[in-house]
Amino acid sequence: MAPLMPSLTSQRTRPRGGVSQWALAWRRFKQNKAALAGLIIVGSFGVLAGFDRLFALYPPKCILGLNAQCPYPILFPVRDPPSPATPFGTDINGYDVYSQVIYGARAAFFVGLGATAIAIGIATLIGLVSGYYGGNVDNVLMRLTEVFLVLPFFLILLVFLKILFFVNPSATGGLLIVIVIIGVFSWPGAARIIRGEVLRVREYEFVEASRQIGASGRRILFRHLFPNVLHVIIVLTTLQIAGSILVEAAVSFLGFGDANSITWGQQLTKASEAVKEAWWEGTFPGIFVTLLVLGFNLLGNGLRDALDPRLRE
Amino acid sequence: MVKRAASTILRFLGIPLVRYVVRRALYLVPLFFGITLLVFAVERLAGDPVQIMTAFNPNITGPQRTLLREYFGLDQPLHIQYLQWIRQLLTGDLGNAFVIGGGAEVSTLIGQRTWPTLKIQLTGLALSLLISIPAGIYSARKKYSALDVAVNTSALAGTSIPIFFLGIVFILAFGYYGRLFPPGGAASILPSDYPYGSAILDELWHMTLPTAVYTFAILAPIVLLVRSSMLEVLRQDYILAARASGLKERTVIYKHGLRNALIPVVTYIGLYFGGILAGAPVTETVFNWPGVGQLFVSATSKLDFPVIQGIVVAITLMTLAANLITDIAYAYIDPRIRLE
Repeated sequence: MAPLMPSLTSQRTRPRGGVSQWALAWRRFKQNKAALAGLIIVGSFGVLAGFDRLFALYPPKCILGLNAQCPYPILFPVRDPPSPATPFGTDINGYDVYSQVIYGARAAFFVGLGATAIAIGIATLIGLVSGYYGGNVDNVLMRLTEVFLVLPFFLILLVFLKILFFVNPSATGGLLIVIVIIGVFSWPGAARIIRGEVLRVREYEFVEASRQIGASGRRILFRHLFPNVLHVIIVLTTLQIAGSILVEAAVSFLGFGDANSITWGQQLTKASEAVKEAWWEGTFPGIFVTLLVLGFNLLGNGLRDALDPRLRE
Repeated sequence: MVKRAASTILRFLGIPLVRYVVRRALYLVPLFFGITLLVFAVERLAGDPVQIMTAFNPNITGPQRTLLREYFGLDQPLHIQYLQWIRQLLTGDLGNAFVIGGGAEVSTLIGQRTWPTLKIQLTGLALSLLISIPAGIYSARKKYSALDVAVNTSALAGTSIPIFFLGIVFILAFGYYGRLFPPGGAASILPSDYPYGSAILDELWHMTLPTAVYTFAILAPIVLLVRSSMLEVLRQDYILAARASGLKERTVIYKHGLRNALIPVVTYIGLYFGGILAGAPVTETVFNWPGVGQLFVSATSKLDFPVIQGIVVAITLMTLAANLITDIAYAYIDPRIRLE
């Protein structure tokens, strides 16, 4: 269909020589050292997770000398202190802690990104619909949000996981179950914040103008409101990733996670049984979790400062 | 007589603050029932508890399962089960555990564990407020000073470190290597191990490490919140007006500034009190602390549904109570709220 008003559609392209809002945000972001540090941490962990086989010394779950995949004919003792062959020592199974920690990075990204995609997806939808339509829709959705907010979500998470792994102990893709459940339960806080932002944006004239020329509700929601609350969603996403990684670690630590995955939480659980005998077994995965979560937190705070229109001078 | 009582109540309700509190309290009732419904649904969606608990026990036969179901009232239709549970709840009866404590009353089990949990939680909360509010204010006033950067960085690190990892580090540093504090448990087994022979000192001595971990975990987000909220407030015109009218800096900051800056902090505490309580399983497991959190972990491991339900309901009630206290604190801090 030919556009009815070509003059309007052609105006969508930016005037020449202008600077987009994203470029402005990036300019502000670059000046923030803490934010850049966050970006670098997250970036390096991303590389680590993407090319883990290159960085690790041994294949995953490699019991040296026993496993056919492991090239060296030496059997490391369990809980052996750090040495040149195993820079971070070995754990209870005789695995090289350094290699296992490297493999944990990929799981951390899976959990962080996966759970956050679900949580922020639900939060965005509820926040947009609730904020835009208001009235009874808003009332029902916000009461639902409050129920989820007051619910001790961490406890419910443990019960869910326990039942799922109990009914089906050899659950393949167990980590996926953990991800889905974390995602499904951790959206309410973000939904409230997004709703608040929608309430602010929907009062602007351009929204009213769009409604006047007959735009549908869905069009206003996704073409006008969504881009204008995107900055809040981006910040929430970054912080949610950090939160999800911590939740997975805590769940695994209590022994309710997926025992077949190599995650930092799983490593810390085993290590906590012998804190005194093998400090290296838990210290390194612990430092890695903290660093990655710190990276996402710094990145999130930096993005908030760069993207929040009210902080612009 | 009735008339006089009614008029007293009406006069009492005429006070804006009271009316506000009553309205807020009534609002929490449907919220509570919504949550009980959700908790009930979650557990029944998981499947038949008897089937789940006995799935791997070859000695239990079909008729025995039926008997168990009848015994626990699981043979009734779902809505009857829910209503029965609610009726029990309203009379304060949380039922009996399936296995823990040999089927002890859930309310007794929780009751025994509440004090140890609240003891470290509330001490941790109080200490963290005592530290975080002055630190946040200082940080906001001396923005970008060396101390501000230090406070900010350590608070961010504090929100990033998993609480159990912090616990493990503390146990290693102060429990095993430093030998200053016991690495776990709530009391010495033998009275002869009490420091200076005092049971109270022994209690405090065991409390120190878990409380320190809690304090640090709660502290970090509150410092950041106080700082950003104070920065926002200090930019307002009424602060400028207060300064211009010649008030002492101390009065400006603590009387005019702090009172307004505390509103988001109160919200945070009210909202996340439940989260703080729910964090108990992790810390209590690290320190082998005999609290509600540890009870929850063992109940979940054994799929002891009455205990799980009881703890979830108890924590929900506490969260709702915290929300109500938050609302009252709001009305106290910000008189405008009462009038809404």
